[in-house]
Amino acid sequence: MSVAVVPAVQAQASLPSTRELSRRRAISRFRWSILGPLIALLVFVLMPVLFLQLYFSLHQWTVYLGTWWDAEYVGLELFQEVLTDPRFGWAVVRSLSFATGSTIGCFVIGFALAYLMYKPFRGQAFYYIIFILPMLTVPVVVAYTAEMMLYQSGPLNDLITRIIGIEFKPAWLTNPHIALPTVMLLEIWNWAPFSFIIMLAGLSAIPKEPIEAAEILGASKWRIFWGVQLPLLRPVIFLALVLRFLEAMAEFPKTWALLQGGPGTATETLPVYIFLTTWQYFQISKGAAMSYIVMLLMVVIVLFAIRLLRREKRSLDTMYEKAAARQQELA
Amino acid sequence: MTKFSISRRTFMEGGVGLTVANFLPGTTPLAFAATMEERTIAAAKAVGAADVSGMIWSPYLVPMQPVIADFKKATGIGVGAVQDISIFDTPQRAMAEALSRSPQFDFIHIDSNMIPSLASAGYLEPLDAYMKKADFKIEAVGDYAKFMTYKGQTYGIPTDGNVHIQYVRKDLIEDPDNKKRYADKHGKELKFPETWEDEFRIQQTLMDPAKDLYGSGSLRNRANGPTWWYMMFYSAGGFTFDDDMNATLNTPAGQYAVDIYLQEKKVAHPESAGWGTPQMIPRIAQGHVVTAQYWDGTARLNENPAKSKTTGKWLYGLVPGSDFSGKRIHRSISSPLAALLVNKYSPRKAQAAYLAMWLGSGKNSIPIVSDPVNTFNDAWAKEHMTSELVRKAYSPGGIKAIEANFQVVSPPTYLTGYLEFQDTLGKNLSEAYVGQLPAKDVLKKTDEEWNKIVGRIGRAKLKQELASYKALMPKRNVPA
Repeated sequence: MSVAVVPAVQAQASLPSTRELSRRRAISRFRWSILGPLIALLVFVLMPVLFLQLYFSLHQWTVYLGTWWDAEYVGLELFQEVLTDPRFGWAVVRSLSFATGSTIGCFVIGFALAYLMYKPFRGQAFYYIIFILPMLTVPVVVAYTAEMMLYQSGPLNDLITRIIGIEFKPAWLTNPHIALPTVMLLEIWNWAPFSFIIMLAGLSAIPKEPIEAAEILGASKWRIFWGVQLPLLRPVIFLALVLRFLEAMAEFPKTWALLQGGPGTATETLPVYIFLTTWQYFQISKGAAMSYIVMLLMVVIVLFAIRLLRREKRSLDTMYEKAAARQQELA
Repeated sequence: MTKFSISRRTFMEGGVGLTVANFLPGTTPLAFAATMEERTIAAAKAVGAADVSGMIWSPYLVPMQPVIADFKKATGIGVGAVQDISIFDTPQRAMAEALSRSPQFDFIHIDSNMIPSLASAGYLEPLDAYMKKADFKIEAVGDYAKFMTYKGQTYGIPTDGNVHIQYVRKDLIEDPDNKKRYADKHGKELKFPETWEDEFRIQQTLMDPAKDLYGSGSLRNRANGPTWWYMMFYSAGGFTFDDDMNATLNTPAGQYAVDIYLQEKKVAHPESAGWGTPQMIPRIAQGHVVTAQYWDGTARLNENPAKSKTTGKWLYGLVPGSDFSGKRIHRSISSPLAALLVNKYSPRKAQAAYLAMWLGSGKNSIPIVSDPVNTFNDAWAKEHMTSELVRKAYSPGGIKAIEANFQVVSPPTYLTGYLEFQDTLGKNLSEAYVGQLPAKDVLKKTDEEWNKIVGRIGRAKLKQELASYKALMPKRNVPA
């Protein structure tokens, strides 16, 4: 009997208890309550739009000649047309340079402000509000306000002229060589707070022990920043850079409200060119093909970023493991 | 000889019968109504009361409101929900409505150059049947009513003429010192410019950037630039397409127009490459320019002492012409020409059509086009030209200029795909203006791009539309 009882008891022990089962069911319910709406959104909203977009990009729909379901199937012709369109190529170059420049600008300013702010001090909340105010300003308002400031004989040039004592009169918005950098500066002003918030969260989350240890060992502030804080912040930095870059690639309101792609084609970025193609030229199919190509470009960037993030996380984990092992050894 | 005898009773019964019939929908005896406005009311009453919805920019709507209120009182037809959207953004929004065959808006207030595109997309209701019912006519100056037609049907009722007139600073060209300076330099008398070359000489001579006075107040930005270029191109005898719908911009006339267009950079404000109406109108009204071709509404602004520093300091007249073709040709332009269009998918299209007609009668539109504050709707009807209210708003000289320019007014590319033709040309002109593209390549490039657009929209379809476009071109080279 007892021989038979032992496996039965073992089997019973390996079976989850009623409480455990109910906990697992609750977790499962919770998981599905979160995932369910997301999957529904994907299936019923996002996928149909993507499929419709794909349909348009494979069919030449001339809006004046018939309905979209009668559009002629043209295979990959539109993709070929887009990829051989020099205007599209220049739009990609402008968007990439705009996104790179503004991302770097936002990051440098955001990080600098976060570094100044992450240790508590009196009046910190006031500065925090001041620093995030630009992000709370609607981009179109930023554009129209900037337009008034940036006239050649406007307040900004006037102020700089008074400060430096030499006439300073760049045509910020009408010189084709500086129009895009001008919008880039506005983007940095508008979105540096975003990088600031992320970097502030990252800096605040760094464990104090490694810094304290470095201080005890006599490391300078620069050495602590460079050797301890920066490596620990790398995943957060990547996240801040990637999110900002993706946002900057899609910037439209300021560029459109200020310059509509001009002067000439100096600010004709990807969103502007896609808008013009789709809603000014009513080439819905070509616009859809462009959107797909841009989406694929963004997916490649995101996948690359995810890979980098994972690598960063792995190296950070290894670093923590090594530190823990060393601590154990010392103990 | 037949003798009729009608009893008193029969006569009374007949009278009662006619009175009753008068109130039955659709039987209103319109012929008895004396004026066009009364006939419109009678026809509108027959289709029943409703509040129509529309897409219209508030600066255009505000001065219309008292006139709409009168119509509501008379017919029960008024304006309910409105999407307040800039006229420059309406084409995109309207096309989205057209593609989704939406009945959401009963009318749209839009640049009438969009008529071919929207009619091709199946969005527009022809208005001829409604106009016939009320015996309504668009009583515009010259052949301007044709701007509302496409392939023989009427699709719009104008609310805003928006014709370009010539502006010249009177105080500057009548100044004796300037007259002497100009005569010494050019061996000619300083007077109102008749040709593009005259205008450029005047601008060069009288401008003084040190005093913030620039020669030209005309627009050269990407969105508006083509409007000016068309005046130069048409006046040089050019036309946009041949009969087979091949683009014909890259011709000597076209190149002449490009050269005239680009030379103004020497006399325009350094920021003119990016300036549109919000920047240029204040410059004109404050007297910072010597001459300009501009929409006629700015004359109303100039002549309003509460809003302008230059009241009484302007001369208005015909836009410059050209002798390039061997004969003197003047061509003004109207773009955007704001008009009320009716949605074919609307359940209240009849009400919207009659409301548009009510707003577009010469008499009713007088207070709309003479509003001194909301100056977006400009004079266009014959009745406006003689109305004291309108003449006071624009000044008699302004009205004379409007009337003259209407006689030689032309459209931009009045074809399906208007916006694409316009932006492609605007992009290339703008690139040349800021030095991104050599001047000699502007039209070659535009021709290539336009031919691609023609190929995509359909050569055969556009060839059919060409007659409608050509019909809008003025018959006169110089106003009577």
